[in-house]
Amino acid sequence: MIIDCHTHWGICWQERDGADPANWLAVLDKHGINKAFLMPHAGIYSMKLCRTDNNTVAALAAQKPERLIPIGTTWPQMGKEAVEEARRCIVNLGMKGLKFHPWLQGFSTADHNFGEICGLMGELNAPVFFHDGTPCYSLPEQIGGLAKRFPKTKFVLGHSGILWNWRSALSVARHPNIWICLCGPHMRAMEILCRKTDPGRILWGTDFGFGFPDSIEYRLNLILRAKIDNKLREKILGENPLQLFKAE
Amino acid sequence: MLIDGYCALGQDREFDLTADALLRAMDVARVDRAVIAPPDRQLAVLNREGNTAMLRAARACPDRFIPACSVNPWYGNMAREELKRAIEQGARMLVLHPFVQGYLANDELVWPVLDVADQEKIPIYIHTGLPGNSTPWQLVDLAEHFPNVDFIMGHCGATDFWNDVIESAKAVVNIYLEASLTRPFTFDNYVKTLGKTKGIMGSFAPINELTFEWDQMRRVLPESEWPDVYGNNLLRLLEKRGAL
Repeated sequence: MIIDCHTHWGICWQERDGADPANWLAVLDKHGINKAFLMPHAGIYSMKLCRTDNNTVAALAAQKPERLIPIGTTWPQMGKEAVEEARRCIVNLGMKGLKFHPWLQGFSTADHNFGEICGLMGELNAPVFFHDGTPCYSLPEQIGGLAKRFPKTKFVLGHSGILWNWRSALSVARHPNIWICLCGPHMRAMEILCRKTDPGRILWGTDFGFGFPDSIEYRLNLILRAKIDNKLREKILGENPLQLFKAE
Repeated sequence: MLIDGYCALGQDREFDLTADALLRAMDVARVDRAVIAPPDRQLAVLNREGNTAMLRAARACPDRFIPACSVNPWYGNMAREELKRAIEQGARMLVLHPFVQGYLANDELVWPVLDVADQEKIPIYIHTGLPGNSTPWQLVDLAEHFPNVDFIMGHCGATDFWNDVIESAKAVVNIYLEASLTRPFTFDNYVKTLGKTKGIMGSFAPINELTFEWDQMRRVLPESEWPDVYGNNLLRLLEKRGAL
């Protein structure tokens, strides 16, 4: 079982294929990916498109529920509506979590409305995914601060600090409600993260779908080639992603 | 000739590459030569120790290793003197790492060492990317001050400055793009857009595995681009000082 925990229904895919995920899924098939966490793209680029893109992602996942696990988004700048949209994603649309990209979406993790959303996600047992590794709104330590403020909420570092902040990800992963997704760090960082982080809170992903290029081939081969204990690798690729959604 | 444009030779923290291991990996990947540069601590503080180690390794394998050197510009005149010494003894490239060495890439602090590089006709490899003190456009700013110096944009601003790479590389003629950390599925597009004379293959071993990186790049980059990207472009810059 291989689960890609970081993919997007990309704007370019939507423009070309409408609401048909067949071509997109064909790339997953080519690499033997069984399931994917499907996140928005248009919805994190444009506040105006947020609701409709959540509907789109939910509808896509409904076409292939055995393969696609839908993740929504919302914008703290929408005020009370943001919190309502967060609830709608999880309760009405059946999405399993929310994804945020604070530097693209332009909000601080200190935003009051965002705090409300984080609290709500803890109540609903729905993890909060981040683009992380980028100043000035998406650093792992800022997400570490959220993990302390909202101990009942699970937070996922969607890039484990990417290339230059992986040591930051390693440090904040000491919080029991922070999970890391190996999607961005180089091979050596992945190996060290796997040695030093709670083995039950490591995921893997590719960011596939953000554009047309096939990012799965490189990133799948990277984790398969890295010096990681085989049992841990299997856990990261197949078991941990399903544990993420289980209630504590 | 196939050249790996950037390998960090030495052992410290996450770096653990010996000369023997590098030669073995190069043989497996069918790479003829590799630029060898010191690991982080020797970029930040122990410059002379790192440079001496690279020069010694290259003297032991002159047909395989091309020594790079580094000086931290904060050392001022001492940095200039160490750079001159390293070049005189065979160093063919200057490595700058603003994030590790502690300055902004285009800070005038760097100018005195670039004057030396300019006089000695050696290219500059500059690490770029997050957290943001060495970005593609900072490199353009620097390159405009030194139009006769060739700058190699290590890692192409990976990852989150990827938006800036193509326009910044178009802005000046003396910037080249190095592949490591950029990932083949992204680097391929840069070469396609900017032309095959702009790309330089580098693995950044041992942070990345050399054989893996070369294998992955060969799967993606069209064969028509291999001679330039895998060797000729870098060779052209290195040989401005004379034949290797």
